[in-house]
Amino acid sequence: MQLNSFQQQAFDKQRPTIEKFGRKSWMWTIFFLLWIIVGGYALYLQIADGHIVTGMRDNVVWGLYIANFIFFIGISYAGAVISGILHILKVEWRKPIIRIAEMITVIATMIGPVFILLCVGRLDRLHHLILYPRLQSPITWDVLAITTYFTGSVIFLYLATIKDFAIYRDAKLKVPKWRQKIYKILAIGYRGTPSQKKHISISMNLMAVIIIPLAIIVHSVLSWIFGMTLRPGWHSTIFGPYFVLAAIYSGTGVLIMAMWVYRKMYGLYDYINDKHFIYLGYIMLVLGAAYGYFTFSEYLTDWFGSEKWNSEVIHKLFSFSEYGWWFLFANVAGILLPIFIVAFPKTRKPRWIALASFFMVAALWVKRYLIIVPTLESPLLPMQDTRLEYVKYSPTWVEWALTFAGIATFFLFFTLMSKFMTIIPISEFGDKEKANEKVTKPEGEIVPA
Amino acid sequence: MRKTIQILTYSLLALMIATPGKLIAQTDSSAKPEVMEATTYTPLIEFLSVQKNDNSVDLKTSVKAKINGTLTKLAGLKIEFTIGADSTAKKLGETITDSRGVAIFSCKPEQLTTDKEGKLNFKASFAGKDSIESAEELISVKRARLEITPVKEDSLLTVKVKLIDLSTGTETAVPETDLGVFVKRLFSALKLGEGKTDEAGEASIEIPNNLPGDAKGNITLLAKLDENEVYGNLEAVVTQSWGIPVSDELKELPRALWSSHPPIWMLVTFIVLMTAVWGHYIVIIFELFRLRKEEPKTAS
Repeated sequence: MQLNSFQQQAFDKQRPTIEKFGRKSWMWTIFFLLWIIVGGYALYLQIADGHIVTGMRDNVVWGLYIANFIFFIGISYAGAVISGILHILKVEWRKPIIRIAEMITVIATMIGPVFILLCVGRLDRLHHLILYPRLQSPITWDVLAITTYFTGSVIFLYLATIKDFAIYRDAKLKVPKWRQKIYKILAIGYRGTPSQKKHISISMNLMAVIIIPLAIIVHSVLSWIFGMTLRPGWHSTIFGPYFVLAAIYSGTGVLIMAMWVYRKMYGLYDYINDKHFIYLGYIMLVLGAAYGYFTFSEYLTDWFGSEKWNSEVIHKLFSFSEYGWWFLFANVAGILLPIFIVAFPKTRKPRWIALASFFMVAALWVKRYLIIVPTLESPLLPMQDTRLEYVKYSPTWVEWALTFAGIATFFLFFTLMSKFMTIIPISEFGDKEKANEKVTKPEGEIVPA
Repeated sequence: MRKTIQILTYSLLALMIATPGKLIAQTDSSAKPEVMEATTYTPLIEFLSVQKNDNSVDLKTSVKAKINGTLTKLAGLKIEFTIGADSTAKKLGETITDSRGVAIFSCKPEQLTTDKEGKLNFKASFAGKDSIESAEELISVKRARLEITPVKEDSLLTVKVKLIDLSTGTETAVPETDLGVFVKRLFSALKLGEGKTDEAGEASIEIPNNLPGDAKGNITLLAKLDENEVYGNLEAVVTQSWGIPVSDELKELPRALWSSHPPIWMLVTFIVLMTAVWGHYIVIIFELFRLRKEEPKTAS
């Protein structure tokens, strides 16, 4: 594989990050592994003693795990929709950030469904979902949709990385032989011939087209698990688009945060520059405003209807003795903060946008929690002679430990993946300028273009 | 040396994080209950008899005990049934309580003996087991029988019920007693009407002519006298073909949201969507195979 000077520059810059693991990376890996070990111990307790070790009971049957599941599937939209749309629109500035976006998608889609498994009481009957599927059940739709989505995300990431694998294969990286072998296998004989380029281009276009509706369907199906249940605060026709929008929104936030961290960590200021943060900030502003509109519309309708059970949930969300503070945080940090930060030129800076993204992502996690728990704490039948723990949900340390273990796994996979492939796609970079540049081989030998 | 210290430090750190475990739990709901001192429970036996029109008697007991403030049904207890006063008591048999704490014993007509007053004296007793104390319950009821006769006049369907006292050795009609007529349904009996016995000990109760029956149109009618102070509970059963025949053949359920087969539109939508997406994947994988095939030979 021959590289133009832009590609060579990008490759040289990132070469050490994939050749050496580094002390910092080891420390982070150990830190994440420790969290995962704590989660493993919590999981052992949950399996040994049953779900009694969680805060979930007969009435509040969903809690932290389902909030995490929706959250992770939501952030997976970073690659699927943002990367897909920008690819179709052939937006040039997308190139340095698509790898991060696609990595977020694959890793988040791997971790999200694990929380479903943690929530299911009878894992020994899990295969029944495949052996005896009931097509009328939104749960079956969800299983099928997420499996299909995960497969698509992996294909999308792989397609976008084949050219880079070919570069790693030919660059004689100072990595163990097994890794060189893996690069060779994953490069599937790509040599950059026009015909091979065409195959990748066709596949990428097909994938970009299909991944967008697929991602929308996945999150709509997820929202229908709630929307098709006759419970206050859930049975809403706008839940589909509301969930999809919130997912793209949180995905954008996580992408901005990841960009900020990697830019700082690897000094990628020449590739991920202020322009990327500002453009993604604009996307975040528009999505934030739309999300705010949906939120207002949803709660206004419920409040105005004054239906008994809906009013009970609304009361819980607005009461500061119950979920009022969380609801306020979800809306201030999740809607107003990102809009104001991006709207004013003074704060429209990478650091501020990344900070707003952090708070927005946290707020959207809280929002998922607020969708699930207050509704389940408001059963349609009056509850009498019941212990408080059956009425009021409170997550136990086991649930928190597994939640943090999930987050640690996300970061760990990210660390490992960023050591296996470059964060900035080499092959995509500077493709347009190639014709006017001298071409070099990775080893540095200069040949005429 | 330095490496050993490093390994030890990391191991200690891992141990510190992993061990607090339950100590830092918000609510330690997983904790096993403390071992309590041996407590004994006093069972409560609810005991009743049902005299039937075939002269047999069903003896029913329901056993419960107050455990941790909650009335709990006790399963697996052996209940012994006897008949007669203490000195002449005769054992009828034993039954084990089921998961609902219920034990039923069916007493044949030849097992029944009455005292001088013509009364049946039954006793249900539990001998005690583990932490559950012994208990017993007695009932004394006069021997009686309910007779049920279905009468059809033109299109009018009536059930005649007669209450007869058998305690004196001769059959004596019992007047001024409230009775009920029921029809057996899938889970329990449905009340059709009530009546009061006349001087002849008889009551006539009209019943509807549009009751769903079995495949042959049979319905099971039931006359009941419940919790009478003198006679206890009495029942009489008769099966009559007065119902509307309802086919018991299994019909295939329509495709619906609630049935085992999904509606066609749902199946079609699912197949179209899945084919479209997975079709794309297959095309892409095919493209990748072609890409691999087109690798220049000199390069490899």
